[in-house]
Amino acid sequence: MGGIARRKLQSVTFNNPDKTYKGYTLFAPIIMQSRIYLIDMEGRFINYWQLPGRPGEVVGKLLPNGNVLCPVRIFRENGPVFSGWCGADILELDWNNNVVWKYRDNFQHHQVRRLRNGNTMIIRAVPVPPEIADKIQGGQPHTEDGGIMWTDSLREVTPDGKVAWEWLAYEHLDPKIDVICPLEHREEWTHGNTIEELDNGDILTCFRYISTVVIIDKKTGNIKWRWGPGEIYHPHDPTMLDNGNILLFDNGVHRRDSYFDYSRAVEVNPKTNKIEWEYRSDPPTEFYSSVCGSCQRLPNGNTLICEATKGRIFEVTYDKELVWEYVCPFFAPSTQMRHGTLAVGRNSWLQDAYRHSLDFEGFKGKDLDPSRFKLLNEVYGPETFKLGGKIK
Amino acid sequence: MSVARTSLTGVTFYSPSEANNGFTLFSPLSSKDVWMIDMQGRTVNHWEMSYTPGCYGKFLPNGNLLYAGKVDNGPLVEFEGAGGILLEMDWNSKILWQYEDPYLHHTFYRMSNGNIMILKWVKVPRIIAGKVGGGLSGTERRGTMWGDALQEITPEGKIVWEWLAYEHLDPEVDIICPVCSRTEWTHATSFDLLENGDILISFMRTNTVVIIDKKTGDINWRWGTEELSHQNSVAVLNNGNILIFDNGRHCTGEGIGFSRALEINPGSKKIIWGYEEDPPVFLYSSFLGNCQRLPNGNTLICEGTTGRILEVTPRGGMAWEFVNPYDHYSANWGHNNFIFNAYRYGLDYEGLRRSYGLDRPWKTWEEKISKIKPEVAKPSPTEAEIIRSRLEPLGY
Repeated sequence: MGGIARRKLQSVTFNNPDKTYKGYTLFAPIIMQSRIYLIDMEGRFINYWQLPGRPGEVVGKLLPNGNVLCPVRIFRENGPVFSGWCGADILELDWNNNVVWKYRDNFQHHQVRRLRNGNTMIIRAVPVPPEIADKIQGGQPHTEDGGIMWTDSLREVTPDGKVAWEWLAYEHLDPKIDVICPLEHREEWTHGNTIEELDNGDILTCFRYISTVVIIDKKTGNIKWRWGPGEIYHPHDPTMLDNGNILLFDNGVHRRDSYFDYSRAVEVNPKTNKIEWEYRSDPPTEFYSSVCGSCQRLPNGNTLICEATKGRIFEVTYDKELVWEYVCPFFAPSTQMRHGTLAVGRNSWLQDAYRHSLDFEGFKGKDLDPSRFKLLNEVYGPETFKLGGKIK
Repeated sequence: MSVARTSLTGVTFYSPSEANNGFTLFSPLSSKDVWMIDMQGRTVNHWEMSYTPGCYGKFLPNGNLLYAGKVDNGPLVEFEGAGGILLEMDWNSKILWQYEDPYLHHTFYRMSNGNIMILKWVKVPRIIAGKVGGGLSGTERRGTMWGDALQEITPEGKIVWEWLAYEHLDPEVDIICPVCSRTEWTHATSFDLLENGDILISFMRTNTVVIIDKKTGDINWRWGTEELSHQNSVAVLNNGNILIFDNGRHCTGEGIGFSRALEINPGSKKIIWGYEEDPPVFLYSSFLGNCQRLPNGNTLICEGTTGRILEVTPRGGMAWEFVNPYDHYSANWGHNNFIFNAYRYGLDYEGLRRSYGLDRPWKTWEEKISKIKPEVAKPSPTEAEIIRSRLEPLGY
């Protein structure tokens, strides 16, 4: 049984409409629930997508036409050690839950992104050639996956499934510089988790095990910029901001020389490698998600943050004032997790969250009436719904 | 801040038939108060201190409070857990005894012979420090690595026994966690005495719990490196087992971040009981925290960094839950309600009989509470109040 104090308050627990950036928020509980939800600022459900399995580790945002593009986990024997987190049917679903595109990759993990040219980029697990793996430093000794160390490939596929471009991490990373965190296992070198296409076509990505964020030159494959070790720990979800800075989620696991754990949202200037803005809670320990998590800069300067393992999504102003908070009301047991020892119980764990503006083009002509989902809203929606109150 | 996780304070759950009735003692880390509350969260006694805790107070069988305070200008004041002064005071906050040593830290123990066992920092000799494995290289404090020492002192302040950790630990075996600094070798945070006088002590930075032979100083039992991650508390149980609060910080692999209570049989080195929350991430204190086995078999757990104290049954059900309602500011942690640890004292506890007069003139606590007007800590909001507080910001 979980604590009362920790889980009593759910749905929207705080809302200051004068300061929020209005829109619809997309999120998905990660464990065995197989649904992606879209809620309004009051916490009312305005749409959901039913998936045939568990969504992958990153849900991201809706496509410009309002469709969802999401990896759905398939479970296989004899996969990499992290097979629970690897291998997917990548599905594109329209507003009414019809599958309009499907692509299977047995080694896909984390994010899938639709590029501007209509192709789709995925992150895949690939083994590091043994002669390179031997040179890679760090990690706990002898913890490879049956002798194999895995790393990432970024692969671009066309709508009809042809490989158009591929980038292999071990061809571009440096075993001397890209050192695995001393407390991690050596089953993976990098653990990539993000694909962000920049305006010039370059790719911004993030490697959790080496705590490094990089920009990859799309044409040459060279790493144009890298930052992270000693500053951030096991990060997620870097995004390029309009001002040229990069916003990312610093999970803070295995933070060096710190006697307590906390997560941060961090805005770094890639020209100076200086942190220009950060959000941490007060006290810092109150905001901590060891895995997953996201942050998004909103058009009015606010930041939407997903504290994944606590099922909490919140919005803060640039001055770090809390203006909106939502707690995931869905709890489900996890049965298929990565390691036997990593049982996560009846949890409300989310991957990430994304706020779409009210005028987002994908909503044009769509039915956004929450009363379509009366029962869902009565049970899991805001108190006004539960108390039989009117929908505003 | 989080509204969802900080709105509920005071007693948030109480099952009188399952809980071990008694008074709970805690000292918020950033304040100068020690609170004793009853099962409803009502204040039974309040001691006002001149020092913030370094790190807590304990209620003695003689009815006095023994409190470790933090001296703000101590030589190692930036170390987590620094203390500097021990104070014994009666029920009415009158100081009866005190002992000062600028290197005191974390914890202490009043022995049955009247002496006090204290924990303090000492310099690790350079020749040994250089051989200690692990830690972030070059992070010693001004070139010095600090280690732990235990001293038994008489009420007059005379040192009658001393144990220096660096004389008994092995630099090649007792290795510092790779992402911790080398300012300290071990960072002991808790110890307890066995019936035969031997000492059970917990070393956080090396993820080790050991038993020290009181006569020879030898380490005659050790456990932990395979299982523990920066545990903060140990206690010896009546059945001879060991109860540990395992914080779970800096664990190897992709740890999701959760703490647990563990009961270990020292003979078999097997975990024979444990408690983690469902989901586990809902009980997590990356530092601080303790657990205490209660007479009825329940376990009191203090989740330090959330200020939450919970009592769980042997089968893992909840019997009582309380969230420290007192928020204070500290430069290190901001606005927080952190607690180092918490202890429950049953109504038949000798100290309460002496100081609180539970025998006379009142036979029971209920009788006494009906005669005095207790100071109410901060009552938990009712269901209606919670709903109202949620609706108002939404504009309904």
